Amino acid sequence: MTTTALATPKTRRPESALSTKPQFGTRPRDYVRIGLWIALLISVLVWAAPIIFMIFTSLKSEQDIFGTPAFALPFTPEWGNYVEALERGNLLTSAGNSLIIALVKVPVGLFISAAAAFALSRLKFKRQRLLMGVIALGAMVPIQVAIAPLFQTVQALGLLNTQIGVILPYIAFGLPYQTFILYGFFRAIPAEIDESARMDGASNWRLFWQIILPLSKPALAALFILDFVSTWNEYAIALALLQSQDAWTIPLAIQGFQSQFTSSYGPLNAFTIMSVLPVLIVYIMFQKYFVEGAFAGAVKG
Amino acid sequence: MTTAPVIAPQGGAPGAPLRPRRPQRGSARQWLRRSGKTGFFAALPFLAPALAAYVVFVVGPMVESVRLSFFEWSGFQGAPQEFVGIKNYVRIFTQDPVFWAAFSNTIIWVVLSLVIPVGLGLTMAMVLNRPLFGRNTFRSIFYIPGVIAPIAIANMWRWMYNPNYGIGASLAETFNAPWLAEIQWLGDKNIALYAIFAAFVWQIAGTNMVLFLAGLQSVSVEHVEAAKLDGANAWQVFRNVTLPALRPTTVIVVVLTIINSIKVFDLIVGMTGGGPAQSTQVLALWSYSQSFGNHNYGMGNAIATVLLIITLVIVVPYMVWTARSEKES
Repeated sequence: MTTTALATPKTRRPESALSTKPQFGTRPRDYVRIGLWIALLISVLVWAAPIIFMIFTSLKSEQDIFGTPAFALPFTPEWGNYVEALERGNLLTSAGNSLIIALVKVPVGLFISAAAAFALSRLKFKRQRLLMGVIALGAMVPIQVAIAPLFQTVQALGLLNTQIGVILPYIAFGLPYQTFILYGFFRAIPAEIDESARMDGASNWRLFWQIILPLSKPALAALFILDFVSTWNEYAIALALLQSQDAWTIPLAIQGFQSQFTSSYGPLNAFTIMSVLPVLIVYIMFQKYFVEGAFAGAVKG
Repeated sequence: MTTAPVIAPQGGAPGAPLRPRRPQRGSARQWLRRSGKTGFFAALPFLAPALAAYVVFVVGPMVESVRLSFFEWSGFQGAPQEFVGIKNYVRIFTQDPVFWAAFSNTIIWVVLSLVIPVGLGLTMAMVLNRPLFGRNTFRSIFYIPGVIAPIAIANMWRWMYNPNYGIGASLAETFNAPWLAEIQWLGDKNIALYAIFAAFVWQIAGTNMVLFLAGLQSVSVEHVEAAKLDGANAWQVFRNVTLPALRPTTVIVVVLTIINSIKVFDLIVGMTGGGPAQSTQVLALWSYSQSFGNHNYGMGNAIATVLLIITLVIVVPYMVWTARSEKES
């Protein structure tokens, strides 16, 4: 849908207008393609190796882990590792915490960003480009620059170890990037649409809610997925702000399990797999929207 | 440059020229202003929540971290903050060997990131942009590490690097190469940083691939065909048609790569914690450790301020350049 070709006639590059050689036959090209495909297959297998190794380990008994080669198939799967990981680690509590945080943070954050992007791109006021720049700057600065004072701020608000205490900073740190992307997307929507809506007497709010937002669904969907994944995975802020184990999110639980049961390799890998599963499911479910959205964001934008 | 695209190009791409705005008719603008539908006060309700969150949780803490870098403080509530001028900076620059180790590791990380994962991502994208059997599966497998939590990746790779039962040990047995089992991937201070970097490449190359793939969709098929008809070989097409068309995408990838490598934190915490002998220490982690681990908020925030300045030195010229090229178009 986004690959609409340019309509204007092409001006041919002078340096390439040398000769009109006949095209290659198809046969040599087929060999090239097959060779390429095999090389690709090998690279993909290498790329998948860490995940395969992790899955195999998670299904092996301690004896097999120590006694068989890394990529020996686990013929008698040891599901006990998963049970053990569930019992010993705080997986379900942490998954619950992570889920609540993500399900509040992502829609609220996206809505706030979209509103700001709307004001910056569709309404006119002085210094709005400068303001966009100042906000975008926030997307580029590493979180660690502000993390110690952020701890003080959240502590002063009495929100340490609470979900709202991480949701608010998460929203704030997510804003710059989302606002920036949506700003670009909104600006590409033709101004005529605003004008005709204005003629019909639409308010700013109606223009935003009923026209601009529905037109931006692909970008919003892509940002939603991306943001869900990065919220689920966030570690540094959570590490500083969530210190009691009951408040831990998934990344803290992974690290906690790792430092507590250093050499229980089977359960450790089972734990990691289970913690990664939700984002993988989200990715696989929404892959279509994700790819469409990413393409739209970068190409159509 | 003068082609008028049917679709508005690359708004999400900061480096890209945006569609030239229609000249506003004076009467319409005046009417809007009179109706109170534009101007700062009309925009304020839309901006307020974002600005409030941004100021309280991003800008405020950043300013505070610059302020605290001139104080000595343990970080405990109620403990006195003592103004010490630039003493913290003098200390990190002249008396703290770890700072310089972290500084050079951060630079190494950024430089390597600009070469390896960017090059790999571009290669993957070029290959997977062709019609190939199983293309979507290949793309997914390359991309999936990008959605896994970095801390989980750290644990996976730590296990792979396990000197006794990891992949090295296993390969050593398979290929009868005992030297492979000897390598202490994360325990040798000459290797550890690069061992972690390998995990970073694995994590991020697929994301670069997706960005380049998106960019490749804007390479005009007609241009490529025309160049081929004119007898250009594959390399010439890539060099003269594809690469120039990918320029905006490349700028985004480069900027994202720099930002992501400056803030690398989770992977290092999860794999070595900065060791052995601070050989994998980076600025983001060292700042954190000084503030929270050693309760030396002054030094921690001085390092954070240095990190902030490095980031601004890289990012601000880029943003000014983007804004300028946007205005020109």
